Amino acid sequence: MTTIGAAGRVGQYTLDNGLRLVTAPASTGQVAAVNLWYGVGSRHEVPGRTGFAHLFEHLMFQGSGNVAKGEHFEEVERLGGDINASTSTDRTNYYETVPEHALDRVLWLEADRLETLRDGMTQEVLDNQRDVVKNERRQRYDNQPYGTALERILGLAYPEGHPYHHPTIGSMADLDDADLDYVKSFHKAHYGPDNCVLTVVSDLDPEDVLARVEKYFGHLPARDFVPEAPDASLPQPLGGPVRDAVTENVPAAGVFLGYRVGAYGSRGFDVMHLASAVLGQGQGSRLYRSLVVDRPIAADDGGGSADILPFRYTDSLLLVNMLARDGVSGDALEEAMREELAKLAAGITEDELDRARAVLERDHLQSISSPSGLADSIGSCTQLFDDPELAYTWPERWSDITAEEVRAAAERLLVDDNLLVVRFDPETADAETAEAAPAPAP
Amino acid sequence: MLRPDIGTPASYTFPKPQRITVGGGTVVAIDVPGQRLASLRLVHPYGGAVEPLDAMGVGSLTSEVLEDGPDGNSSLAPALERHGAEWVSRVNWDGFITGLDAPANRLGEAVRLFADAVRRPALTADDIVRRRDQLLERFWLEAASASTLAMRSLGGQLFTGRYATPLAGGPVKLAQVEPETVAAFHADSIASVAGTLVVVGDLTGVDLEDLGKTVFGDAAATPVREVEAPAPPPGELPRVLIVDRPGSVQSALVIAHRAPSRSQVDLPRAEGISEVLGGLFTSRLNMELRERLGYTYGAGSRFDLRRDSGVFFATTQVEADTTAHSITASLEQIAKLRSSGVTTEELVSVRESNTVGLPVSYSTARAMASALVDMVVHDLPDDHVDRHRAGYEALTEDKLNSAAVEYLHPEEAVVVVVGDAERLREPLADVGAGPVEVRSPESLWT
Repeated sequence: MTTIGAAGRVGQYTLDNGLRLVTAPASTGQVAAVNLWYGVGSRHEVPGRTGFAHLFEHLMFQGSGNVAKGEHFEEVERLGGDINASTSTDRTNYYETVPEHALDRVLWLEADRLETLRDGMTQEVLDNQRDVVKNERRQRYDNQPYGTALERILGLAYPEGHPYHHPTIGSMADLDDADLDYVKSFHKAHYGPDNCVLTVVSDLDPEDVLARVEKYFGHLPARDFVPEAPDASLPQPLGGPVRDAVTENVPAAGVFLGYRVGAYGSRGFDVMHLASAVLGQGQGSRLYRSLVVDRPIAADDGGGSADILPFRYTDSLLLVNMLARDGVSGDALEEAMREELAKLAAGITEDELDRARAVLERDHLQSISSPSGLADSIGSCTQLFDDPELAYTWPERWSDITAEEVRAAAERLLVDDNLLVVRFDPETADAETAEAAPAPAP
Repeated sequence: MLRPDIGTPASYTFPKPQRITVGGGTVVAIDVPGQRLASLRLVHPYGGAVEPLDAMGVGSLTSEVLEDGPDGNSSLAPALERHGAEWVSRVNWDGFITGLDAPANRLGEAVRLFADAVRRPALTADDIVRRRDQLLERFWLEAASASTLAMRSLGGQLFTGRYATPLAGGPVKLAQVEPETVAAFHADSIASVAGTLVVVGDLTGVDLEDLGKTVFGDAAATPVREVEAPAPPPGELPRVLIVDRPGSVQSALVIAHRAPSRSQVDLPRAEGISEVLGGLFTSRLNMELRERLGYTYGAGSRFDLRRDSGVFFATTQVEADTTAHSITASLEQIAKLRSSGVTTEELVSVRESNTVGLPVSYSTARAMASALVDMVVHDLPDDHVDRHRAGYEALTEDKLNSAAVEYLHPEEAVVVVVGDAERLREPLADVGAGPVEVRSPESLWT
């Protein structure tokens, strides 16, 4: 199948083995951005195996049948290229941007690990990367103030056993339990060309790119068995407010509020995305104006207090996060935030809506302004929605959403029944308060 | 299937910027057809390095308060947001940089707002005090992160004078900066000085002269900045500083020493040897600490080269119990590099990644604008990127080996460790990196 769309910018092809290839032109010359989205993420993990999709992402750089440990990185770095990977709930992606003449080498490296990763995998490699990931967890979660917030939020938002209940980093115990057989079976189950969207952003002729991709990936067989993803339906509403209160060594009280909203890609999601921008994106947002500038009781976050975690296969999460100023209690900040959120149900102005659209459009434009960002956005839109051109046209989704639609959604969703709260309060403040409390008034 | 040959790279030349003199300023621009998001930067030569000691942090505070705009009260960002533009403002040691990222076809409208914000901000006392107090509180919020605290602890270990205090002034000095000081700094160094305007993006239909007129107005030409090398470090070297963070499950490590200024350093040799040691993923520190020992999520190194001085540092974060051995292992890697030199593979990696990789490095308007800003700040010629590439092409093993000896000095290093002092003090006393001192974060910037 071949189609060229988005005013001739996007080429779409599907190989016989199911691999989807998308090509698009870059805005600067001599580069090729390669991005592979595999349709496997932490939502595919089962209890006792959390963190595995992400640990596996590390193992993909540890050598395959024809590539030695570390060699994949070395090859791309030697070209001055950018290389990395990331894992989310819904996908794992691998990406390289290299000088255009090296495109074949990168495609070969990617094809080799898709075909022969299991040949290169050893217990020693697994043990080493397990230690690396445990240190990643310490660095990002356990040794970082508020670092466990996301883990706690997901734990409250989705019930025990639900595929979005845990963060992609997983638990230390589950990481310890990972074994070599499971590594190999995971690769076999999820890493097939039929589960991959390969995007190439470059100045090359799309048919030329197709020929190269056919050469390196065309002979790889599709998976003979496609595992079913765990059920991500949510039969019950959140039943809030639900709460996780933590007292630990943090520099100020931190309030994290979350609400279940529509799945990524739904109109409901887009409506609440605008609501999040009205509330907490940019210095013109309500929370910034009210709680940072006017009152001011929240720490200056530059206008970045609200956003949405986009989940494709279950309810997404609107998250609002602020830290308290000196002398402001967590209770006072939380109350003020909840009051502001509740006010959205009274309506928003056309000016606020216009500003929200402009902020989101600017962010989108920024994200697709680099070859690698464009390739990533195209991979996302193809893997999740089977529509690569959405990468260019996404801002149009906000154009016909009305202020009343945002208001009505806020009235329905930004309510206590749909609310989760994760609160961090400093240990020291409590201790000082406790000491100060018994002192008699003069 | 056999590994395919890479083939021959196309030759890369950094685009030659247009230069236009407008009034007291200069516009430096690169046209990138098809790049709809333009990057605009205005460079003033007033970074933290030239702040007087009794007004440390005035630049950072001024940079923040410009976001209050000509109408005050945080009015700038919302006004720009309507044009799809994002405000950019930052201060480094050598430059005061403001700017916009905006759709190229709406640049004109956004730039009028930008010029007002930079030249005619309200600078009300209320706004300044609010921003100052927020900056002071944010200092400690950010310093609660071990790696940030480690980096901010470094200056006081390597320098006396301005560099001993963090760029934003630190929690004590910044508190002493009054609204009048901000207003005077802005009037003398920003409002009345034209600066240099950098513009990169699809410039079809963009009138650069008009843009320059709008931004420079009648401001005077930018004066030449004098530089003077800062004082040497106090105390015995090498040595270890533990910044106590009780209960830490990890330690943030920085091994650092002083380096020459940017103009005194042969960049491809210095940066090349740093890349071999810690700059690349496949570097020696990362291979040893992460890929062999499994102690860390990542390790790195680099030079921070200023107009009047420099710093070399290697960083990582490791599990608390492996802290001492991580330092020993890192110092061993540096010693080995100095005594045995680089491998041919390492030379090729460094040389090629900095030559054939240039189209990747400059694949966005932002990256090109950033290169131009660097050229303005450090008085570099328009063909700097090409000269730099030629320097890498001429690298040899001998040149890198001599750079290891010339630029890496572990015997003069300070090792800063942010972690649990009770667990770390004894093991760190045995690593042979000099005497160990323990400080609380609160005592570092009095």
